[in-house]
Formats: sequence, structure tokens, C-alpha cells
Amino acid sequence: MILTGNEIKRQVELGKIQIDPFKINQISPNSYDFRLGSKLKYYTNEILDPKIKQPVEEVEIPKTGYVLKPGRIYLGHTHETMGSDFFVPIIRGRSSTARLGLFVHITADMIDIGSHNQWTLQLYAVQAMKIYPYTLIGQVTFWCVIGDIDLYKGKYQGSRGPYESQIYKDFEKGV
Amino acid sequence: MILSGNEIYKQVKLGNIKIDPFELNNINPNSYNYRLGEDYKIANGNLNKANNSRSKKIPKNGLLLEPGKVVLSTTHEIIGSEKFVTSLIGRSSVGRLGLFLQISADLGQLGDGHKWTLELTCVQPIKIYPMMKIGQVSFWVTFGNRNLYTGFYTGFNSPACCMDSMLNGNE
Repeated sequence: MILTGNEIKRQVELGKIQIDPFKINQISPNSYDFRLGSKLKYYTNEILDPKIKQPVEEVEIPKTGYVLKPGRIYLGHTHETMGSDFFVPIIRGRSSTARLGLFVHITADMIDIGSHNQWTLQLYAVQAMKIYPYTLIGQVTFWCVIGDIDLYKGKYQGSRGPYESQIYKDFEKGV
Repeated sequence: MILSGNEIYKQVKLGNIKIDPFELNNINPNSYNYRLGEDYKIANGNLNKANNSRSKKIPKNGLLLEPGKVVLSTTHEIIGSEKFVTSLIGRSSVGRLGLFLQISADLGQLGDGHKWTLELTCVQPIKIYPMMKIGQVSFWVTFGNRNLYTGFYTGFNSPACCMDSMLNGNE
């Protein structure tokens, strides 16, 4: 079961969903629109090897906009700090950004229950595209859970700003 | 409703979800981490011609994926459920490197388990390794009477190319 916009608002007020800052006018009928945060990261290597920690460059998105080039993965982040210990969040782009060929996440739309973060967005532009800080760029939905819950305690907990892949740690641990 | 990690574990033990092999430490709060299998095929981009090319092994020292190509591989695990709907996505750790694990089609069908075909494509060149923890699978409660999947990808345990005759007008 998916929460309606009104139910999202009610659960935010009850403290069971965290959306900070929370703006009433960003509620949709069954989701909440989130904003793009102001920082971006990209990998400085062209070839990415998950076994090796990949160096990144961080940039501040200027008010005048920043052009995403095709053929490169950029890590952005939600302006809002979000999470829930009771519902599973799923994120996606708004159709308005998708209609311009912008992916807001790559393959990983589902957030772990208990992950309270500025969530990292995986930005990928099919055609070159200009982005601006604080644009309403995506939407989050919340889903009911069945079964006992163990909250997320993973390696991305506490993220502020874009957070690059930590998958190389799996290889270090031999898992 | 989506199953929590604990509920996935419970349903595996009850036999309502098949994940084989199953490792307890691959459970997440609301999903299960699956591994990449060892075989791959390159999609041939031709709907009118079956891709009969044989699968190749992903080398232990990695396979370099290039942008603009689709490589088909599978999950290492046999995964399925006749009771809950399966949805397969990538881990955010690979998404953050610009690797897609499926193209648009993340929803599985109710039915017997098999090794799921993954549609790998990348934004920047990226290396993949056999048996790496690459994606996650979640399970959803259904509503209504169930008919199980008996379509043409049933029982496939190797990377299965497009076999939809509807798509090429040969119906």
C-alpha cells in the first residue's frame, strides 16, 4: 500500500516520516516533490573499477546553472534530509525532468527503512542539460511494510551532500 | 505492502520465497542483496533474429563494460515466489557508479524461481566481477487471485535474450 499525499503530511506531523525542510505545497496526490541540493560530485577517472576507491571532484552548482554532459555520471543530493523508520521510501524523477531526458537515480530507487539522509541522486543526462540548485527535481513515495523491522545501519548513514560509491569496501572485506 | 528483511527470511524458511543459495548476511532492512552470476552474453539489438550466441564467462579479473552496449547476465541465485511479487533493482553502490542492472523492467512475475536475467548497461566504462554483490530484490504482497507465470522465459538460468515474437510481428 502506498501513502496518499495527505497521509504523508499526517505521518510527517506524527514524526513517523522525516522530511526536512517540509513544505505543504510540495505535496502531490500520492508523493512529495523534493529539491536538488546545491552540491555535485563526479569521478575524475573515466574508467570506473568498483574494486578501487574512485577519486571525485566536488562542485557547487551556480545559481546560473550547471551543464550536465552525457556520458558522465554525476552525484547530486536531495536538498531535504529524509527518512522513515516505519515506511519504505521509493524515489524517482518528476515527469517534468524525465521529459528532458534526465535520470535522477540509476537502478536504485528504493531506500532502506531507517536511512535518514540527504539522499544521493545519480544524475545522468541523455542529452546535455542545464540544472539549477533547489529545482524541484524528483518525488518520493512511501510504502507500508509487513514484518518485523531492523533499521538501516549501513555505510551511507548520516550522508550530507552527495556521497560516492563505497562498494570497494565490499572487496576489501572479501564479501 | 513490501516485506521487511525479517519477513523475507521468515518466508524463505516457510518455503514461500525461493532464494538459493541464501546467505543471512545479505538481508537488508527491506530487501535481499543478490550476487552477479558468472555468465554473460552481448545483446545483438535485432528483434527479428534470436541471439543464439553462447554465453561467455565473466573473467575473474573483471569484464570491462562500455557505454552504448547492453550485456546480459544473471543473478547468481535462483530467485522466485508463487506468493509474493518480486522486484529486482541494483544496489545504490553500483548506481552511484553509473551502472544500470535492468532497463526499465524491474518487475518480476509470480511463479517458479530461476536465475533472473540482468540487463547491464553503463554511463561510463565500468568493470564488473563475477559473484560481486550487485543488486537487491524486494518482495510485495499481492491482491486478488493469482495465475502463475508460464511465459517464454520460464525456467531460464542463463542470460536469456529477447524471445518476444509479439515484438517482431511474427505472432
